[in-house]
Amino acid sequence: MMLDTLETLCCLEGVSGGEDEVRDYILERVLPHADEIRTDPLGNLMVFKKGAVTPEKRVMLCAHMDEVGLIVTHITEDGYLRFDQAGGIDRRVIIGKKVFVGPGRILGVVGSKAVHMTTAEQRKKLPEIKDMFIDIGAKDKAEAEKQVHIGDLVAFDDRVVRFGDGFVKAKAIDDRVGCATMVELIESELPCDCWFAFTTQEEVGSRGATVAARSIQPDVALVLEGTTAADIPGTEGAGRVCLLGSGVVLPFMDRGTIYDKDLRATLIRLAEENGIPWQTKSMIAGGTDGSVVQRSGAGAEVAALSVAVRNIHSPACVAKISECEDQLKLARLFLAEMAK
Amino acid sequence: MELAELTKCLSGLSGPSGFEESVREYISSYLHHAADEIRTDALGNMIAIKRCGKLGAKMILLDAHMDEIGFIVTGAKDGFLSFGMLGGVDQRMLPAREVMVLSDPPLYGVIDTMPPHVLTVEEKSKAIEPDKLFIDVGLTQEEALKAAPQGTPVVYAAGCDDLGQGQLCGKALDDRACAAVIIKAFERLAAQELNADICCLVSTQEEVGHRGATVAAFGLEPDIAIVVDVTHGRTPDGKEALTDCGKGAAIGIGPNINTALARQLIAMAEEKKIPYQPEAVPGGNSGTNAHAIQVARTGVVTALISLPLKYMHTPVEVVHISDMEAIVDLIAAYVESLEV
Repeated sequence: MMLDTLETLCCLEGVSGGEDEVRDYILERVLPHADEIRTDPLGNLMVFKKGAVTPEKRVMLCAHMDEVGLIVTHITEDGYLRFDQAGGIDRRVIIGKKVFVGPGRILGVVGSKAVHMTTAEQRKKLPEIKDMFIDIGAKDKAEAEKQVHIGDLVAFDDRVVRFGDGFVKAKAIDDRVGCATMVELIESELPCDCWFAFTTQEEVGSRGATVAARSIQPDVALVLEGTTAADIPGTEGAGRVCLLGSGVVLPFMDRGTIYDKDLRATLIRLAEENGIPWQTKSMIAGGTDGSVVQRSGAGAEVAALSVAVRNIHSPACVAKISECEDQLKLARLFLAEMAK
Repeated sequence: MELAELTKCLSGLSGPSGFEESVREYISSYLHHAADEIRTDALGNMIAIKRCGKLGAKMILLDAHMDEIGFIVTGAKDGFLSFGMLGGVDQRMLPAREVMVLSDPPLYGVIDTMPPHVLTVEEKSKAIEPDKLFIDVGLTQEEALKAAPQGTPVVYAAGCDDLGQGQLCGKALDDRACAAVIIKAFERLAAQELNADICCLVSTQEEVGHRGATVAAFGLEPDIAIVVDVTHGRTPDGKEALTDCGKGAAIGIGPNINTALARQLIAMAEEKKIPYQPEAVPGGNSGTNAHAIQVARTGVVTALISLPLKYMHTPVEVVHISDMEAIVDLIAAYVESLEV
């Protein structure tokens, strides 16, 4: 169930600032189960659901709907699209990839001149993003302009593949995995009242969460994320950050947040009591909506519960299916604990 | 099958240099009804012949290669497969790339890359050396070595899609698009009364040095050869290419090509109003099978007709269907015009 939801969500397009398709789908799923639904000018979707008890503290779960992608900045006379990035992308994963441009989902490819025509030096370097282009097969600017526009968002290829010993490949696992966990929770009976914030624009600086947190004003918040795994041959020890197959990730700190120690200790205890493997990050890398939620208004206790993702911020994110399921399991245990 | 549909089918088959079985089998069975004789030689070339039955008839050889660039498994580390190259792979295409490992049964894999969060600006601007890249098949070391032992071939996992108006985009269009062209030309010619014997050679191992065509041309001893391969079409970053996609068949002119035959082809294109563009081919080596075939036995009158293609040796090669049709028409018109 969790996996089906995740796969459906990953196929939707929601590059930062254009999360509509994701929001519409989630709204449709949660509408029959919600007690209150809010949206705001940033496009956040905030869902309240009553549980068995109303805890003293206001509890919020948080996951972002947006994904990294590209944005069209210029259309050349010969019909090619220049672009910039929306969110932090390693430009090495863009070149030679299929993409979908704008609301019309026009197929394009990020072209580059053939390797045969490059110098030895050029082959070792990557073109700057400003020198890359998208080819949608338009013969000139006029033909391109009939299909796409400056400002159109561009998403990666949306094919989902299950492979190997329980792995899934998709774009946007960061952070549709968190969204899937929240959708599954909303569709179930909850141990306590809870707000769910499906936020926008995390990848460009937690813009959505900044205002969603002010709207909900949580006392306690749990951020559900996909996080940086670098566990590939050639990296050793701490450089691997976290490892697929070593459990859900309970970070103590990242570039934006020092997580609440007591809250994190509770999550660790719940994981261990319930046989859920967990790990932490061995490098202070990345950030989450937790940074703005923690410092919103008079402040909140914040922890993060993440799934390790290889090739994060690329068209070929890889996650361990059992760890996506464990994120849901531990989030549910967390809510049960909040009910006490 | 229509030309575009056949091209899509051929593009989807897996056949890196030296491992072309599935492509050969598909084409052999496809051409069965049209040819008098179909055979395979020691290098795996697919040879289909249609004889005109006339005394003193010349043998016209049509060549396109069936192999594609790819990879070969060289070992495994922590369950991730290390690999070497089959042909001129562009190493910049590899990070976060989906591949198909041609084991039995085939395995889906992703070439993993480091997350951008832990990289320096300098690291992100450099191509990654292939010996630092690994294929993630989601298996343990023991499972990986068993499922995909050393010597297992690998290709890009990519489909072939329609792009814009009348264009195709996918892997291995170099040279399966041209294989489709000579198959369609052979089919058309085989259905009529001719004054020449025709041979459709879909050759192996072009990408590693024109090896298949070298022995096939020796064995077949043709009088005239028309080699059909791809050439670079202009792109915004590759204006130095000598042809444009969509402007017709590129008829090669240079030392590797028989000048009289090239002139005949140009005259034929003019007469029949077939779109064409002359392409200068400097030096003695066109980088195609024409290099091997021209000097087979005591020499072969050889022409090179090229299909303009963008982004050669990537999984997103782009061709215009109208250019492919022009080459089919040109070959057919030329062979039809021959007298005994």
